[in-house]
Amino acid sequence: MTLHRTCDGQSRRDFIRVGALSSAGFTLANYLRLADAGEVTSNRGKAAIFIDLAGGPSHLDSFDLKPQAAKEFRGTFNPIATNVPGMEISEHLPKLAKCADKYAILRGVSHTLAAHRLGSEYVNSGSRPLASLEYPGYGAVVSKQMPTDPDIPPFVAIPRGNQRAGFLGIQYAPLNTGNTPVAGQPFGVRGISLGSGLTVEQIERRKGLLNDIDTTFASIESQSQLLTGLDRFSDKAFAVITSPRARQAFDISLESPAFAAQFDSEAFSQSCLLAIRLIEAGVRFVSLQLGGWDTHTDNFTKLKDVQLPKLDAGLSSLLCGLEQRGLLEATSVMVTGEFGRTPKINDRSKEGGRDHYPRCMFMLVAGGGMKGGQVIGESDETASAPKNEAITPDDVAASFYYSLGIDHQQEFDTDTGRPITLVRDGKVIPALFG
Amino acid sequence: MIWSNNSMRSCSFFFCLVVSLSWQSATRSYANDSEILSGLSERFARPDDTKPALTEIPSFQKHVGPLLGRLGCNGRACHGSFQGRGGFQLSLFGYDFQADYDALLKEGENRIDLAKPLESLILTKPVSDELHEGGLRYKHGGWEYWVLRNWLEAKAPYEKEKILTLKKLDVTPREIVFGSAGEKRQLKAVAHWEDGTIEDVTCLCRFQTNDPATATVDESGLVTSGEQGDTHVVAFYDNAVSPIPVLRPMSSQVGDKYPELVASTTVDRLVLEKLSKLGVVPSDVCADAEFLRRASLDATGTLPTVEEISAFTSDPSPAKRGVKIDELLNRPGYAAQWATFLCDMTGNNDDQLRNFLPQRIQPAPQWYQWVYQRLQQNMPYDQIVEGIVTAQSRLPGESYAQYCEAMSAICQDESGKKFADRPGLVYFWARINFRTEEERAIGFAYSFLGVRIQCAQCHKHPFDQWSKADFENFQRLFTGIQANQNTMASDAREQYTAMIDQLGVDKSLKGNQLRRALGDLLATGKTIPFPELTVRDNGGKAKGKGKAKGKKAEQPPANQAKLLGGEWIDLDQDDVRSKLVQWLRMPNNPYFARALVNRVWTQYFGYGIVNPSDDLNLANAPSNEALMSHLAEGFIANKYDLKWLHREIMNSDAYQRSWIPNDSNKLDKRNFSHATLRRLPAESAYDATWMALANDEAAQEVVKLGRPRALTIAGASAQANRGNDDTGYALSVFGRSVRETNCDCDRSNEPSLLQTVFLLNDGVVHNLLKNSNGWVASIAKKYNWPAPAAASKPNSPIRNAVMDSKGPTLEGLIKQLERVTERKKEAQTSGNADLVATLENRIAQLEQQKAKLAARNSDSDAAEKAVADDIETETKDVSANSVAIPTGDSPQVAITDDQARWIAEQAYLRSVSRKPSDSELVTAMNYLKSETSPTVAVEGLLWSLVNTKEFILNH
Repeated sequence: MTLHRTCDGQSRRDFIRVGALSSAGFTLANYLRLADAGEVTSNRGKAAIFIDLAGGPSHLDSFDLKPQAAKEFRGTFNPIATNVPGMEISEHLPKLAKCADKYAILRGVSHTLAAHRLGSEYVNSGSRPLASLEYPGYGAVVSKQMPTDPDIPPFVAIPRGNQRAGFLGIQYAPLNTGNTPVAGQPFGVRGISLGSGLTVEQIERRKGLLNDIDTTFASIESQSQLLTGLDRFSDKAFAVITSPRARQAFDISLESPAFAAQFDSEAFSQSCLLAIRLIEAGVRFVSLQLGGWDTHTDNFTKLKDVQLPKLDAGLSSLLCGLEQRGLLEATSVMVTGEFGRTPKINDRSKEGGRDHYPRCMFMLVAGGGMKGGQVIGESDETASAPKNEAITPDDVAASFYYSLGIDHQQEFDTDTGRPITLVRDGKVIPALFG
Repeated sequence: MIWSNNSMRSCSFFFCLVVSLSWQSATRSYANDSEILSGLSERFARPDDTKPALTEIPSFQKHVGPLLGRLGCNGRACHGSFQGRGGFQLSLFGYDFQADYDALLKEGENRIDLAKPLESLILTKPVSDELHEGGLRYKHGGWEYWVLRNWLEAKAPYEKEKILTLKKLDVTPREIVFGSAGEKRQLKAVAHWEDGTIEDVTCLCRFQTNDPATATVDESGLVTSGEQGDTHVVAFYDNAVSPIPVLRPMSSQVGDKYPELVASTTVDRLVLEKLSKLGVVPSDVCADAEFLRRASLDATGTLPTVEEISAFTSDPSPAKRGVKIDELLNRPGYAAQWATFLCDMTGNNDDQLRNFLPQRIQPAPQWYQWVYQRLQQNMPYDQIVEGIVTAQSRLPGESYAQYCEAMSAICQDESGKKFADRPGLVYFWARINFRTEEERAIGFAYSFLGVRIQCAQCHKHPFDQWSKADFENFQRLFTGIQANQNTMASDAREQYTAMIDQLGVDKSLKGNQLRRALGDLLATGKTIPFPELTVRDNGGKAKGKGKAKGKKAEQPPANQAKLLGGEWIDLDQDDVRSKLVQWLRMPNNPYFARALVNRVWTQYFGYGIVNPSDDLNLANAPSNEALMSHLAEGFIANKYDLKWLHREIMNSDAYQRSWIPNDSNKLDKRNFSHATLRRLPAESAYDATWMALANDEAAQEVVKLGRPRALTIAGASAQANRGNDDTGYALSVFGRSVRETNCDCDRSNEPSLLQTVFLLNDGVVHNLLKNSNGWVASIAKKYNWPAPAAASKPNSPIRNAVMDSKGPTLEGLIKQLERVTERKKEAQTSGNADLVATLENRIAQLEQQKAKLAARNSDSDAAEKAVADDIETETKDVSANSVAIPTGDSPQVAITDDQARWIAEQAYLRSVSRKPSDSELVTAMNYLKSETSPTVAVEGLLWSLVNTKEFILNH
């Protein structure tokens, strides 16, 4: 955006910040040089939060405004300054403007899949979907690579998500909470909260009986992976159900009132609060969903009145909350929709809307050693295409994994024995770690 | 010239197959050893330069190419990578001669320097004279060096018109039997070329073992014995793939020492023949109760009822198992179980069909019903497949208008039942992920051949004979078929336009808007136009796409395509699909029958004769070839009678063996010497849980398909499986197939944490336990005990194909009403009176439905509330973290010994399908008496049983 001001108005500091987007910054050689020189900090993330802006948020009206563009592109929103000089975002994101130092904006992210489902699979895995193979979502990979304590589920989706276990297998699928928490109230999660008036003691008595009678296969138990697997899962499930740790993590009503007060009563904000509690309890990966971005009609009213305020409140509370708890450095955060929206405003409703547009979109990343307070990448004058070299979802995925200490080029074998590179085409974005 | 190249290659399949089976024949058919050229490693051994120079010029196809493969140059991590390595890219796993040759001779790269051969990089790099990331590949002056050097000095000859056919790759010994670990045997591979040359190519083969624990093989073909068991080692050369069985007996009971066992059936004889070689003694035949549970779950997808178990176990007739098998195969559960199997196999995925028909019409239930009816009638498998492969939308002689009338009537019934009478399953061709030629080639091969040819889409198949050219030639068969929302035959246009006119549909509507408008009209009972499958006149227009990435594939004649390993097909004909079916039906088709019998076998044993069940590649040889042939040939001889196949398998002792292993067979899993423990597939896990927890009458209904079952849910997709309703949740957790990726592994039978959590503590299970239709409630009623604690919400209805169709939800109806009203307004503004009238009709209809549904729901609302209250109590309990002792007014009744015994027996029968042992009975009775209330006690016992491994496993 600084580039859209007059050239004179561009401070050197701005140039350096935005300069990271120059195409030279993207080469692997450059990155390796930085890495060799020890300038790349890495592997800070011990856990991750993924926020799925399902429907595809309009980049032009949120994090990539083009106030100088012609009327049919620009829309009605204006940019505002943030607490990082040179970094501007939409006026309807005032809270996020106050904590822009905590996250990085990636602009000119680009791909070609304009259908919700395909786009979503792409940004949830970092690999362009194939008909012959289902790639695992980030959460499934993290659950596999970063195991948790026995009484804590590794991967929780609030309320559910688009990240599949794919070829890694169902055991890496998320625990879906099914619904979202309500402020100040205890929160029940499918299968985790004790159901139907059961008490811990009662369930322990039942488990006692179960142990006594579940002996049919005792003679071959040690030789069978299936049997030992079932026993292990049973013990783990029982631990999760009966241990107060998991239950308490899910119960946002146990949160200190002062901390909880930072989160408004919207479902998304409360989900963010829950995410912090879960990460603190040792959950490795939490995915959150904030839908409603598919603004083919009445784009501006929907964004102004509903979508942007929800995102603004929830995400800013999440980032600030993580920082207050000392978790931000150890938690990699990624925020993305499946695509951006058409720069040109359509005329299908009174005020117009925007349609699916994967060629140019934004993503946000924060925490986990990724440097906030910067804009990486740039779109052209109308936010219709990346201005220079595009950032791909693969690159973002590579960086996200990198921040978690997961080698994005490692191979996993599918059930058919086919070796698959985790992120086929991505390169780590050096500016995030520089 | 390209022509000859391809036609020559076409024979190679046949010879490969011969090779793969040839180990059985004891006679050696080829020439004397004296006529065999010794290997390159001998011919080109030239330890020092003092010896005279060699004159032989190696051949590119026979020697140089394979050598590069053998040296690992074209491996995935090296130059076979799709990005190449160091700017040099070879075709992965070779066999793309032209591309490899071009890559070697690429100008300016100096990999081959014809002027100064000794400076060619392919000589200097692999010996590490020059920096080579891949390190030292061979020694300077070694035979490999001389092969390459002689070829280079002869100006690197390669005649692309003279690609030779490898007639046979003869690998000896044909079978290896080891006695102890560490023993070694050397393989020898001899190539028989069409030009008459016979050459020892051991030093040029690539070798692999299918199970490194049982045997390893090094790069020179030296096999080393490992653990007891059996596997294959495989030799690859040119496009030949030659598996050699290797086995090491699991006990000393081999040969004369093997016990004399009676084989009850041919299947048993063939299984025992293999077992006797391995010294494996099979387990005993299992008990009646175990057989009944296993057979019911496998053939019909759910448990036997308590009544049935008692009747069967007390029946003294020796023939009762065979009778029971026939009875099971005649149940509706059989058709439902195997309809789900065929829907998995053919990809009945609602998400992939979402845009084909006018809105709100679900093709998935129609697909399911189509298959279900045919299985119920026991239509021969080849005829079912014919109906799928050659599917036409219209009946012979039917006009477009008549077709639309018929389809409109069919689609009025949401259950999809009426569609079953149409001869063709067009939807198979209408899937979004089955539209391109490539997708169709892959999908067809997966569904009906059990072959994974996708590898050959980009490179030579690493485990099979298929080359990239084979894939491209096969893929062209699928060129002319179209089935999407806009396709219709040319003779349909006029009638279509007339219909649209008559219906008053806005002509500017397209795509989904049009689909919506038509869907609305259908809902008011109108006849609407339907899309249809069309077959484009190929008339030589079909083009080989030659969609090569960076490399040029050789272009075959545009108007011909080739069956996999079969003959060339002229594309200048109306519908080549009939040729495909003809080919499937040919008795010597190497895949069609084998793929099906192997898949069905896998369902019954949890392990295929070829495993994985959808991967019949040459390197992945059957564990028991004789058994595979017997089943496939029998299936064909019995005119593809599916029930013959089921009976043949189920009546064998092999199927009826106990899971309890003995010392000799405990390590065996691929030779069917004992029953394998298998987790219940998703649908069975759900239905069996439901049935175990339901009262006797409801359990009967499950068996009779008198109520919706998980097994009768028609479509599947990752999206739908993850649906928000309880059944969808359970099925996705238990790994119901997503029918998406052309792999039997779309279904997962692996255990997971969430499955255990589900059975231990999910609301669905708790509700079923407490349900008024539940068994616990019926016991409480019988003894006049208090009913199970919380009234439960009725479980959300299963979306179902066979019984009642899925009912709309109130929420959905309200939304729909809003949408239709909105559109009525739009229509009013635009002055489209016809559309307004139609939409008004629709609104009236929806209002009616809404009223009905609201009345029906008011009952369940009360129940919902009870559940909400329930959750409240629960959380209080949890936060207090103390035991809530039921105080209230419910009288405490002690369970008598007789009651406890009876209850324990019943609980065992309905969950694990057997009576408890004496000690189990004591444990259960003690527990029943120890709980705070009798109802809670019964609930606790049944809960525990459903959470045993014995319940969730088929054994």
